[in-house]
Amino acid sequence: MRIIGFIFFFVFVIQSVYSQEDSSRLSHEMKASNVKLAYNSSIVYPGVRMGLEIPLKSIVLSRTKRKGKQEVFLKDRFITGNVSWYHHPTFHDNVYATLGYSMRRTGDRGWFTEFSPELGYSRTFLGGTTYQVDEKGSVSVRRMAGYNYALVSLGCGLGYDLSVVQSRPFSVYYKFNVLLLFPYNSTYYIRPAMELGIIYKTAKFLRVNANQKHISKNKFKA
Amino acid sequence: MKQLLFSIFLLLMVSSCQKEKIKLGKNVSETFYVENKGASMRVLVEGNTSSKTVLLFIHGGPGSSSYFYNSDYISDNIEDKYAVAYWDHRNAGASQGAGNADYFNLPTMTEDLEKVIQVLKFRYGSDISIFLLAHSFGGMLSTSFVTKGNNQNLIKGWIICSASHNYPLNDDYTRHALSFYANQQIALGNNSSQWQEILDFVIGLPAGVLDLETANQLNSYAAEAESYFSEVSPFPMVDVIKANAIRQNYAITSTFLNLKFSQSANIQDELRNYDFSNALAGVSLPVMTLYGKYDFICPPALGNDVISRINSTDTFSVILPNSGHIGMYQDQAIFCQRVNEFILQFK
Repeated sequence: MRIIGFIFFFVFVIQSVYSQEDSSRLSHEMKASNVKLAYNSSIVYPGVRMGLEIPLKSIVLSRTKRKGKQEVFLKDRFITGNVSWYHHPTFHDNVYATLGYSMRRTGDRGWFTEFSPELGYSRTFLGGTTYQVDEKGSVSVRRMAGYNYALVSLGCGLGYDLSVVQSRPFSVYYKFNVLLLFPYNSTYYIRPAMELGIIYKTAKFLRVNANQKHISKNKFKA
Repeated sequence: MKQLLFSIFLLLMVSSCQKEKIKLGKNVSETFYVENKGASMRVLVEGNTSSKTVLLFIHGGPGSSSYFYNSDYISDNIEDKYAVAYWDHRNAGASQGAGNADYFNLPTMTEDLEKVIQVLKFRYGSDISIFLLAHSFGGMLSTSFVTKGNNQNLIKGWIICSASHNYPLNDDYTRHALSFYANQQIALGNNSSQWQEILDFVIGLPAGVLDLETANQLNSYAAEAESYFSEVSPFPMVDVIKANAIRQNYAITSTFLNLKFSQSANIQDELRNYDFSNALAGVSLPVMTLYGKYDFICPPALGNDVISRINSTDTFSVILPNSGHIGMYQDQAIFCQRVNEFILQFK
């Protein structure tokens, strides 16, 4: 118990020290949305994912490290909308739409990591002709057979933003998602899905008024 | 963007609306689904459909999958002669559905099997010969099917491999088999401590029908016991998955999560109330039983009970000498040979 208390205290102290803001400035800026396109593979099964990232807020965090070196991070928050599809032969095709919240942290060299929880709707199409048999024993084919599911997705990824160093409005990224569909056979279905794609930073498409906060920190005060 | 979306939508529409042309062939591989009461059940038909003979696997569980029976050996030695249908029951393998737990019971599964057979006849012709091959829990399901109404007229023969038709009786036979071999192996000094533990458990069992938890514990000991015989090679589950998961497009997480759900579903309790022994008197089909000599999960005595109770003149009993519970792998040569001979005789 004492050890847990000490850990909490230690974390609290460290966090307080590191979260000190030497200066901060809040502004509003009209920012355009990003469009993304990805290969949406589930290990070996192909698919496609298209999405939109609507900027919500950005935090530009600059901090001075030891020896006066300055480090700048950009923390972006997006509302995302995605439409995805994968094809698992003989099992199903799955078309799903999700709405999510994406948290991205980009370093001053352009590398970024992101995490995004999403909620959505999935419609599967069975991977073979589907038959139904009525009470008289007549067999018929059921068109577009499949199921509707609720979907939760958690994803984390990494990428490289070409606009940071090369001023090109693109990012390339890889993202690993875990999809959870329910109610699937009265339980749930889990599926890994990997995205390999590009994000295009448009200049004018779907511009929104996003919060922008600049924070400067001096990590090691004299 | 719109065009791309539209193209994908169109592709899906076209592919799902195409009418499948069914051609008989000597080396087919076709997947279709049969829908009934909240479940869409996967059926994979492989092999020689031109033979007009289909061997329909009824897998174990409940909640396992037919994926694991589709071995290279069966492909090379049965599918070259006949078609083999690998059916995933509801809530099993790649079978799909939404909230369908209310239908996860033996009567509905029996109805499912009737419908799978009707669809097989619809696809490959009403004149096809169908043989059931039941394994483990599949014995319960197939017995429920053949003893219901005139269902046995839909098939040409019934093959029972390491399967059960009566769980309380099954538990009795498992107790006796474990007790017999435990005493024998302890006397021989083979794995004495392990056998002693099994013997102590069996001796301590209460009389009468076991509750589910105790029956599951007995089942675990039964599964363990076969591994103490050097003649029995273990079922290479991991190797089978590695070799076939991608090649056969396994729905791995679906199979695992369906199994997990099934193991704790109400059906497990319900099944303990079924006793089909007396109903077997109405069966007049050709029947072959294949049981592993060292199968403690479904001991060979269960096969004897079936053969002694049915009213068929065409009965065959085969003991697989190097098998435990998975005879189709552990004695695959004898298994395929005897299955082929049986089908050839009665198709």
